Amino acid sequence: MALMARFGTEAKPISGGQSLTPMMNMRIARPAHLVDLNDLLELDFIRVADGVVEIGAMTRHARVASAPEVVRELPLLAEAANTIGHYAIRQRGTLGGSLVHADPAAQLPLIAVTLGAEIVLKSVRGLRIVAAQDFFLSIMTVDIAEDEILTSVRFPAMGRSTGWAFDLVSRRRGDFAMASVALALDMDDAGRVSSLRFGIGGVSPVPARLEVVEQAAFGHQLQAGMIAALAAQASAEIDPEDTPQLPATYLRELVDLLSRRSLKKATETLGETV
Amino acid sequence: MTDALEFSHIGKALPRREDFRFLTGQGRYLDDIKLPGALHVAFVRSPHAHARIKAIHAGEACALSGVVGVFTGRDLAQWTTPLRLAPPIEGLHPVEMTTLPVDKVRFHGDPVAVVVARDRYIAEDAAELVEVEWDALPCAIDAVDALAPDAPLVDETLPSNLVSHQSFSAGDVAGARSGAARVVESRFDLHRHTHVPMETRGCLADWDGGQSHLTMHIGTQVPHPMRGQLAARLGLSETQVTVISPDIGGGFGQKIALYREELTVAALARHLGRPVRWREDRMENLMAASHARETRCLTRAAVTADGRVLGLELELTEDFGAYCFYPANYMARVIAMILTGPYRISNYAFDVKVVLTNKCGNGPMRAPMAITSWVMEGTIDSIARELGLDPLEVRRVNAIRASDLPFTMPTGEILEDVTPLETLEAAAGAIDVPTFRTRQAEAKAEGRLLGLGLCTVVESTTYGSGFYKAAGIPGSGHEAAWVRIEPSGVVNASVGLMGSGQGYETPLAQAVAEGLGVSPDQVRVHMGNTDVAPYGMGSRGGRGATAGGGTLYLCAQKAQEKILTIAAHMLNLNDMQGLRLHEGEVERQLTGDWQSTGIGLADVARRAYLDPLSLPSGVKPGLDVSLTYDPPPMTYSNATHACEVEIDPETGMIRIQRYLVAEDCGTVLNPVVVRGQQQGAVAMGLSGALFEQVVYDENGQNQSATLADYMVATACELPNIEIIPMHTPNGRTPAGIKGMAEGGIMGAIGVIAGAVNDALAPLGISVEKMPLSPQSIRAHLRSAEKSGGPKF
Amino acid sequence: MSGTKQIFLTVNGETHEVSVPPRKLLVDVLRDDLHLTGTHTGCEHGVCGACTILVDGQPARACLSYAVQMEGHELRTIEAMAADGELKPLQRALHEEHGLQCGFCTAGIVMTFEAYLRDNPEPTEDEVRDVLSGNLCRCTGYQNIVSAVLKAASEMREEAQV
Ligand SMILES: Cc1cc2nc3c(=O)[nH]c(=O)nc-3n(C[C@H](O)[C@H](O)[C@H](O)COP(=O)(O)OP(=O)(O)OC[C@H]3O[C@@H](n4cnc5c(N)ncnc54)[C@H](O)[C@@H]3O)c2cc1C
Ligand code: FES
Ligand code: FES
Repeated sequence: MALMARFGTEAKPISGGQSLTPMMNMRIARPAHLVDLNDLLELDFIRVADGVVEIGAMTRHARVASAPEVVRELPLLAEAANTIGHYAIRQRGTLGGSLVHADPAAQLPLIAVTLGAEIVLKSVRGLRIVAAQDFFLSIMTVDIAEDEILTSVRFPAMGRSTGWAFDLVSRRRGDFAMASVALALDMDDAGRVSSLRFGIGGVSPVPARLEVVEQAAFGHQLQAGMIAALAAQASAEIDPEDTPQLPATYLRELVDLLSRRSLKKATETLGETV
Repeated sequence: MTDALEFSHIGKALPRREDFRFLTGQGRYLDDIKLPGALHVAFVRSPHAHARIKAIHAGEACALSGVVGVFTGRDLAQWTTPLRLAPPIEGLHPVEMTTLPVDKVRFHGDPVAVVVARDRYIAEDAAELVEVEWDALPCAIDAVDALAPDAPLVDETLPSNLVSHQSFSAGDVAGARSGAARVVESRFDLHRHTHVPMETRGCLADWDGGQSHLTMHIGTQVPHPMRGQLAARLGLSETQVTVISPDIGGGFGQKIALYREELTVAALARHLGRPVRWREDRMENLMAASHARETRCLTRAAVTADGRVLGLELELTEDFGAYCFYPANYMARVIAMILTGPYRISNYAFDVKVVLTNKCGNGPMRAPMAITSWVMEGTIDSIARELGLDPLEVRRVNAIRASDLPFTMPTGEILEDVTPLETLEAAAGAIDVPTFRTRQAEAKAEGRLLGLGLCTVVESTTYGSGFYKAAGIPGSGHEAAWVRIEPSGVVNASVGLMGSGQGYETPLAQAVAEGLGVSPDQVRVHMGNTDVAPYGMGSRGGRGATAGGGTLYLCAQKAQEKILTIAAHMLNLNDMQGLRLHEGEVERQLTGDWQSTGIGLADVARRAYLDPLSLPSGVKPGLDVSLTYDPPPMTYSNATHACEVEIDPETGMIRIQRYLVAEDCGTVLNPVVVRGQQQGAVAMGLSGALFEQVVYDENGQNQSATLADYMVATACELPNIEIIPMHTPNGRTPAGIKGMAEGGIMGAIGVIAGAVNDALAPLGISVEKMPLSPQSIRAHLRSAEKSGGPKF
Repeated sequence: MSGTKQIFLTVNGETHEVSVPPRKLLVDVLRDDLHLTGTHTGCEHGVCGACTILVDGQPARACLSYAVQMEGHELRTIEAMAADGELKPLQRALHEEHGLQCGFCTAGIVMTFEAYLRDNPEPTEDEVRDVLSGNLCRCTGYQNIVSAVLKAASEMREEAQV
């Protein structure tokens, strides 16, 4: 912390180095000092208390994907973490690094936004807590001061009866997703949607919740027709960049498809974890 | 079909002897060789696709501690000569290139200056401090636009960007057309690739001022031609240059030419009197090493109602990039030459254009003629589709049969001992076409898209001198070898090839063992050092087995003759009749059986070296035999690929369900190595067809300079490949060897396109453009949906 | 980031004292300073996997770490495999199944599966392919690597039973 305060703009923390080092090797990023967080074992933890799962910034993706607490309380997060990159990448990359790096297509920022997590930041000046929704500002830009370190993320535990789904489409195994969808779904006793958290990644500068779709689903049963309508709405809602390599039309089709598949799967998993 | 020949060592599935060092981290690749005091270079590269160099300011870079100097094209021009390519080929413009650009750069990544420093980190720091004043020019990025009259000129010494243009016609193409039931037109667009050896380029140049001698450590597929180039461009003689190639982490055609960076490093070593080294980083490799392919073709096939091809026309345009390290028609001409491959076509015409653009220069990449089989087989599939015929039947109707051999292709190429119809039947039988069609129909009823492709390949593997002469390209196709039995009886051998991972050490030892009559364990084959190896043409195409293995085999046979002559004398026999060397022992045939004579190779060797006065008269001391061999003008092998795919209509993703190859590459030296080459080639072909693509934006900015962007397929995207081996020996080559290693790429590209088009045929879609990305498949499906097709 | 730093690196059970600039990548220090050239550099952006080694028993890209970060950690490289001249089951299987050609990618693959097979002794073909997707090989098409890993896994299970 003191080091971060001393070097200011000159310094950057390094955790897994799985994103920062490639950028430095390509000479895109060039900080003057690196502050190594790897030996801060106190930032590698998972704590469950009062309906909140708090995960330390230095927790590696592999642990997030397999820790029993996460699999139990945040199955959506565990599943998403297990799709990051490759086996070897998941042994090094960290939760904090992924959130601060904020690749638009990254899994963990999407889950943090979808579940409404809180980001815990620390500096010599004190503690600051930012909602994930507000943390991601733009492509690879987050609300973090130069002297701050992300120390943990607090996820609200998913209810045991919550249905969920995570799905992505990427060109090759382990590539960043062209588009991804994460959702958490609750229903009332009559089988009507009581809450839908609908997050989408890869198709906008930062992962986003599609509130219009969430509201449209509220109070409805999710039969095939409704699912198709919600998916169509999701795909209309996004405004992806249009490039010759990756046309916006294609991305919209993927979002429509991923939304349909995920809504169906979330409905099926509903209550499964009880 | 002739049966496979009988051998003792050739054809045995021996595991490779080089594996141990690679598996234990003891391989020695270029970057593993350390020389004390070596300086490192980093290149300053152009951020523009096309720009004039107004000034280069290196003051700040030179001031950095640890920097030895910054040098530019002007410096290099004093120390080296330009590369001039002017083979007397009609329609091909002569071109010239300086070692580093002096006036202007021609593509994004073109080197303009070089920094020499104490280590690589400092060299890279300093390279960033070199300031170049640019005057950006308009650029020519697309080959078609580059041919427009007002297009910017990539090479200002040429009248236009059309650097090469040839046409050809045989038989009566117009007549075939007028007599045809239909003329079927098809288009093919193969995108830009790059080789991506896992080890990038690099070199280490060591100048010995006292001896006036350059030792160049460089992973090169062609040590002797490389030495010749280095000597010529540095103004040295060939006695002043030694090229040593260490283990190579893949080449695929990228490690043949003498590149500008490498020549720069050699010149700097001499200028500075210090060892100088360079290791290319991956971004440089993807942007600026060498690219390949980017070929567009159009065919017009004149056909009868039952699908018989009466005449074929080809129009081909290749986008060659900005610089010619090879004659510009080099790759395109092979495509045109062997296009008709497996089929009986006699009326044939082609028109081949090669165009310069502001992109990285092209070079041969494993299967320079990669597009060929796609174009021919895609044309056959179009014929079947337009006429409503079974594609397998159209193939059968046109295929060259055993009774047609030797068959002279319309371009004059002669096919001998090939079996395209046999591999076709083997592949079609193994994949069971009728059963597949049933499954396909059932799947279609459920809205699923299954497709089957077939692709027959006739692969030109080994180019003899006769070919080069006929093509007007200076150069030779011969190969040279020596085999030396040392006084203790062990065997050293050498040949002018240099492997880049194929595993030559084992199969070539088998070829020597076979010719000589010893066990392969006793043979060590030395390659890659120009002071040790005989002058040979190196490794390119699929010539390793026929030219390299063949030459060693013949040379070893010659050595055996000498050994047996001496042995006969030792046994008091008149001549070597009835003797053989077998597993290192001299044996004599008595009443049909081979029996030991008690004389071993070591006994003969001892006498040859240490007791020469006891040799038979006329036999010279020593057991040191050398030989050169020039293969036939061209050797062909052939194969048929079959592949089943399923397309996810919603994502456009292609899943390969089954992949098999029936391949006839004649006598094989080592089936383990051959199978590895077949799998590797198919994998590279599929990866290229489905994922890889060099992307330039409209300003000529390279958008695919990392391995995250230039997508080489991983283990999850590639199928297991079933192989049906066939072995019809070639009657004209030593031991019947045919060679292989590139056909897998030709077949993979053709078969995957065929399978995808078969799956999409019911929707009226025909895909003409690679890569077969999910976004492009979706674009087709979308437009089919719009015009009333089913919605997915 | 100039100047050098004196550090202790523990590699393959041996501790070395080296003086390195803080920005020097682990892979370069292993290769240049410790002369362990079996670990290769194929991209320096984490994609190809050629530089994979073990850090405290887990696979890590040596091109994405700085040597100065590695004090107090146990590093293992390909040179530790078969140090006694005897190939380990995966190395043997790669040889027998022809799972390598140019050999440039091989060390990274051996190290990745050294960790993976330890923790997952009974992988399916799909799981092997999934793990292998983090290592690019331009020569083999992966098929023989996959069969070698499966073969090694089954041999290791048998060995463990005896
Ligand atoms: C081949 C490959 C494939 C990949 N595929 C995927 C993928 O599919 N999906 C995906 O999401 N990611 C992928 N990644 C990225 C991977 O998940 C990274 O691990 C992650 O993005 C960054 O985490 P890190 O711990 O390595 O961070 P680092 O690279 O160390 O740091 C990243 C950034 O975060 C800052 N930082 C790190 N930790 C902190 C902290 N605690 N507080 C403040 N700032 C901090 C650093 O200064 C830096 O700016 C891939 C990476 C590779 C190499
Ligand atoms: S060199 Fe480290 S992953 Fe490629
Ligand atoms: S064996 Fe050459 S890259 Fe894998």
